[in-house]
Amino acid sequence: MKAKAVIVSLACLGLALATATASSKEITLPADHSALRTSNLPGYGLAQQKCGICHSADYINYQAPGLSQAQWTAEVTKMQHSYGAPLEEQDIASIGAYLAVAYGSAKATDASVIAASPSANVAPRLEQPTATIDVAVLLDSNACSTCHAVDKKVVGPAFHEIAARYKAVSDANVKMAASIRNGGVGRWGDVPMPPMPALTEAQINALAAYVLKQ
Amino acid sequence: MSITQATPGTPSIRDHDPDVPRNARRDFLRHAGTLALAASPLAALAAGGTSEDIAFADGPRPLVEYPGKRPLILVHSRPPHLETPFAVFNEGLLTPNDAFFVRYHLANIPTRIDPATYRLKVSGKVKSALDLSMADLKSMPGQVELIAVNQCSGNSRGYASPRVFGAQLGNGAMGNARWTGVSLKAVLEKAGVDAGAKQVTFNGLDTPVLSSTPDFRKALDLEHALSGEPMLAWAMNGEDLPFLNGYPLKLVVPGWFGTYWVKHLAEIEVIDHDFSGHDAFFMTKGYRVPDNACACVPAGTKPDKTRPISTLAVRSFITSVSSGASLPHGRAMELKGIAFDGGSGIKSVEVSNDNGKTWQRTTLGKYLGRYSFREWRLPITFARKGNALLMCRATANDGDVQPMTTRWNPAGYRRNVVEQTPVTIV
Repeated sequence: MKAKAVIVSLACLGLALATATASSKEITLPADHSALRTSNLPGYGLAQQKCGICHSADYINYQAPGLSQAQWTAEVTKMQHSYGAPLEEQDIASIGAYLAVAYGSAKATDASVIAASPSANVAPRLEQPTATIDVAVLLDSNACSTCHAVDKKVVGPAFHEIAARYKAVSDANVKMAASIRNGGVGRWGDVPMPPMPALTEAQINALAAYVLKQ
Repeated sequence: MSITQATPGTPSIRDHDPDVPRNARRDFLRHAGTLALAASPLAALAAGGTSEDIAFADGPRPLVEYPGKRPLILVHSRPPHLETPFAVFNEGLLTPNDAFFVRYHLANIPTRIDPATYRLKVSGKVKSALDLSMADLKSMPGQVELIAVNQCSGNSRGYASPRVFGAQLGNGAMGNARWTGVSLKAVLEKAGVDAGAKQVTFNGLDTPVLSSTPDFRKALDLEHALSGEPMLAWAMNGEDLPFLNGYPLKLVVPGWFGTYWVKHLAEIEVIDHDFSGHDAFFMTKGYRVPDNACACVPAGTKPDKTRPISTLAVRSFITSVSSGASLPHGRAMELKGIAFDGGSGIKSVEVSNDNGKTWQRTTLGKYLGRYSFREWRLPITFARKGNALLMCRATANDGDVQPMTTRWNPAGYRRNVVEQTPVTIV
């Protein structure tokens, strides 16, 4: 009898487990391995940073070959006007030029590409001392604030929450800086954080220090 | 089947610009995927796929495996967008659930759904707002079942000439399935539509990443919503909807393009005006065609006026022969294919093997309903060796006939030109 009771209760337990798992359906999406074509143009970093917020690189990679700078720039304009991409006018021109060179008919030496990629013409940005960097401006101009707030989850985690998790982490500054530089997915949910290759080391360090202080 | 149209001015580049470095990791993965599939029958499917004759900036696309799906052609990873390898359409008139194409617009898609707590809310200009469980829907009067084609508005966009932006699809962003559900009319009647109601809007669980991006919502005119045709489906070919096709509930709009077939349907709102505002983008700005009879403009130009895309145009395909195939000379064989339209039904399908000079009428297969794929077959013996151009042309019961020349529009929607399959008779 005792043995039978055990079997019955095990059977009930099994049934309960089966019911719990049967009621919910869950999927895990494959990782996205697509990447934008590399380039020395400033639009490359911007495109990694901004386009990747909402879609994988293969949305770009599998367009038709041979499209012009005007066509690519119009498409980036559409991303801002129609889909609310956090892009300044200069970002649009710069990303459009990069895409047209990397995927379309434009050449990096075209006058129109050079004109649309202003920072390609100047010497590499001087590394500012961290103390003089305005973090508020960085958060705004790099669309960080589109996805993060100090005290609440927006698209990505709250800075408070990140700082709390990094409290117990050794080399928190270094790891935080690496997360900002390279982006990532999985540690805070399914929405990927795009990489921030357009930022200097000093800017990234300033952002890391700011986030960890929240 | 696939079509190669050499068009002046269209670059025939298949490979990378040699000046641009390739991404080694991505290439490794692509090749690894190809190798893994090489030994399986899927390799044959991929080879006979739809889109390998379309040039992409980044070269050919791999087959990928997503939850609930056999390996399908990768259109985009996030949000997921997958195309059915074309050979699937030769295997039967109902497209298997695990081969059915997948298309999302917004990257925040649901990945966990509990059907026991799932609710469909009906609100707005109704006498009583509803909060319906799946069990409620399945026990309501108005249960319906029908076979209908779900085709993406941009199916075959990759063949547009000149090329246009958007998902560069081959012909595989379509599928035909038996849908089981309850009519939208029955649900709206249960809520009681107020006098003065004008449109009904639909929203699913998918949401944009950024609040500045419009949500994906669609609208139907009240008259259409109450016609008894649109339905809320929970089953596809006798099984629960695949997760990536809108589990557990999907709006099915027979005869209308897939953009209206809202997945993970969670909210229905009855409104007393034309749908407008930020979240009406996919009605008021996206998914629109030139507002004229052909829904077309001269290639490369912009329309003055547009309207929301609506019904499927008549189309037909040869499914038994791929582009570039070798077919036997002097021996009886059979050509086979499919045809469909927006719901008047297929009247006839003709085939030409002489560049469209003469046409032979085919025999239509079993009638599965006016919204379904219709099979056609034609016994044929090729009398001359050499190159031949096969074409098939469907005529719908409403008199609509596939055009011989492409009707172009800037978004690459609603292609229905007579397709061409070049073959060699040996």
